[in-house]
Amino acid sequence: MAEYKLLLEHSKDPTFRTLEGYIAKGGYTGLKKALTMERSAICDAIKAAGLRGRGGAGAPAFLKWGGMPKEKKTNHYLICNADEGEPGTFKDKELLENCPFSLVEGMTIAGHAVQGDVGYIYIRAEFMDGAKAVRKAIDEAYAANLLGKDILGTGMNFDLEIHMGAGSYECGEETALMSSLMGERGMPRLKFPSAPFPVASGVWEKPTLIHNVESYCNAQVIVNNGAEWFAALGASTKNSRGTKIFSVSGHVNKPGNYEVEFGTPLRELLELAGGVRGGKLKACVPGGSSMPIITAEDVDRAIIGYEEMGEVKSMVGSGGCMFFNEHTDIVKYAWRTAVFYANESCGKCTPCREGTRWQVQVLERICKGYGRPGDIDLLKQIASQIDGRSFCPFGDAAVWPIMAAIRVFPQEFEYYIEHGKSMVDSKPSLVGVP
Amino acid sequence: MSELIQLGNPHQRPRQPRPEDVKLKFSEQGVKEIEALMNHYPTKKSCILPGLWLAQREYGGFLSGDAIAEVAHRLDRSYAEVEGVATFYTLYNTAHKPGKHKIEVCTCLCCHLNGAWNLRDHLVKKLGVRHGETTADGMFTIEEVECLNACDRAPAIQVGSEYYGPLDEKQLDDLIEKLRNTEESTVVQYAADVVSVQLRRGEV
Repeated sequence: MAEYKLLLEHSKDPTFRTLEGYIAKGGYTGLKKALTMERSAICDAIKAAGLRGRGGAGAPAFLKWGGMPKEKKTNHYLICNADEGEPGTFKDKELLENCPFSLVEGMTIAGHAVQGDVGYIYIRAEFMDGAKAVRKAIDEAYAANLLGKDILGTGMNFDLEIHMGAGSYECGEETALMSSLMGERGMPRLKFPSAPFPVASGVWEKPTLIHNVESYCNAQVIVNNGAEWFAALGASTKNSRGTKIFSVSGHVNKPGNYEVEFGTPLRELLELAGGVRGGKLKACVPGGSSMPIITAEDVDRAIIGYEEMGEVKSMVGSGGCMFFNEHTDIVKYAWRTAVFYANESCGKCTPCREGTRWQVQVLERICKGYGRPGDIDLLKQIASQIDGRSFCPFGDAAVWPIMAAIRVFPQEFEYYIEHGKSMVDSKPSLVGVP
Repeated sequence: MSELIQLGNPHQRPRQPRPEDVKLKFSEQGVKEIEALMNHYPTKKSCILPGLWLAQREYGGFLSGDAIAEVAHRLDRSYAEVEGVATFYTLYNTAHKPGKHKIEVCTCLCCHLNGAWNLRDHLVKKLGVRHGETTADGMFTIEEVECLNACDRAPAIQVGSEYYGPLDEKQLDDLIEKLRNTEESTVVQYAADVVSVQLRRGEV
């Protein structure tokens, strides 16, 4: 299997970013088809296609689509989560910049299916190029009566607005994103079962459908090509359907976005990216920095799929795939990841706010050569107090990579603590701990 | 670590002006834009984030106490609420007045693996300031930031709304020279871009 370009098929084509070019490539046939379909039929198609949310958790998308109230009593809102912040991931950025109409069409279809009134695209403020492309796409769609009042004469009203973030990783979490959209600090809110799902009471306490950019783009493909066609992609896996865009980076020759079908071996992704540079492969983080690290041997046997990845004790996550060569110091990797989470913790709950800082303190002392004999146990103890005890999944994400690093490469941590230096002949670029 | 968290000079942090000192300084265009942005949401409160971006543009790239007070006044919110929001997000300049150009060096995992520290050290040596500081001539501010999601372009930096990468020391020097000769402040330009992208064509 090689690359399977479904969403990124025309991403290199500049005309695809204009309405004319998009329609010439078969765009907006999905919306026209959706407008003739029953609302429930679209939700059923999403279910039959087996689409799973592409943001990271991989929950079945139809739970959200089907969970929206069938009878409309109040305003329904749609949100697109384009606040991509996971280190190693840059797929949403590419979709925003190069395929803005796929997103706009996907959201309009979703707006029809769940009777949405307004859709908000929450874009991370750093992604100016992407935001400008989406703005242009929305303006062109308004001019062609593909958004706004009485879309294509069917009586459907749907507006799309862009809301820019202001720099916070935590806002990628769906309840925190809704807080941010409502003009608050980007902190998470209570979740089910303590509070209703967003589909019952989300932003402004109205029913809200919230999805990642890639999920909305996939919805457009499903309606356009049919659920059965989509479900045939990735049929070799247990429960993952369609394609997934992986952002390959780190020590590879050709970093970039590669779209592959589920069921593709992880090794092929590495080959698509031109192989490892600067030495042999040592480790891989397959799904963004929150996901557990795996060894080179596991890369050889890992199959891309939500369940299949569990066999090597990792996850697909958001698709930020980083490959590390043999000169990479895993202890410093763990330290840098811990610093990221300590800096980005929103500060709402104590286990995460304090625990992420403790992790950094312990790892920093190991990196500086002052590690103490009980430090590995101490890190495990800290992790056990954060994992599952924090307010939102951020806490779990902060400890998984560190715990996995200790589980997979224990000898490196032991050597570092005992000798006060790394067992890896690291490149100078990796030496500096400020 | 502690360096990354404590940013800026406490004496320059925003201070709430006395009610009689609040002066409304938004330009005519700015007033029209904030009113248009308010129509995008069912509540005025939701307009705090776009309003702060607008204030950042109108007040020359720095959210002073006056700027926050004006946003609070225009949206009928309290000063404390708006300040709380402004200080949560890292792209609002509330810690101190930034220079004309803010150079944000990504030092997160992928850029770290590809030598971001070398770039950072080079910058510190060349400009003589460290993380969160501004050069004496008010030209440049350096900030070390978390992942910019440009891992394919590592090591990457961001200046205003532009990404640059992959960079080496030589290219960084050229970029700094280019910025020195740029008349307009990229910090203000960035805020202006963020505001304009949220408005529909012909809305204002």
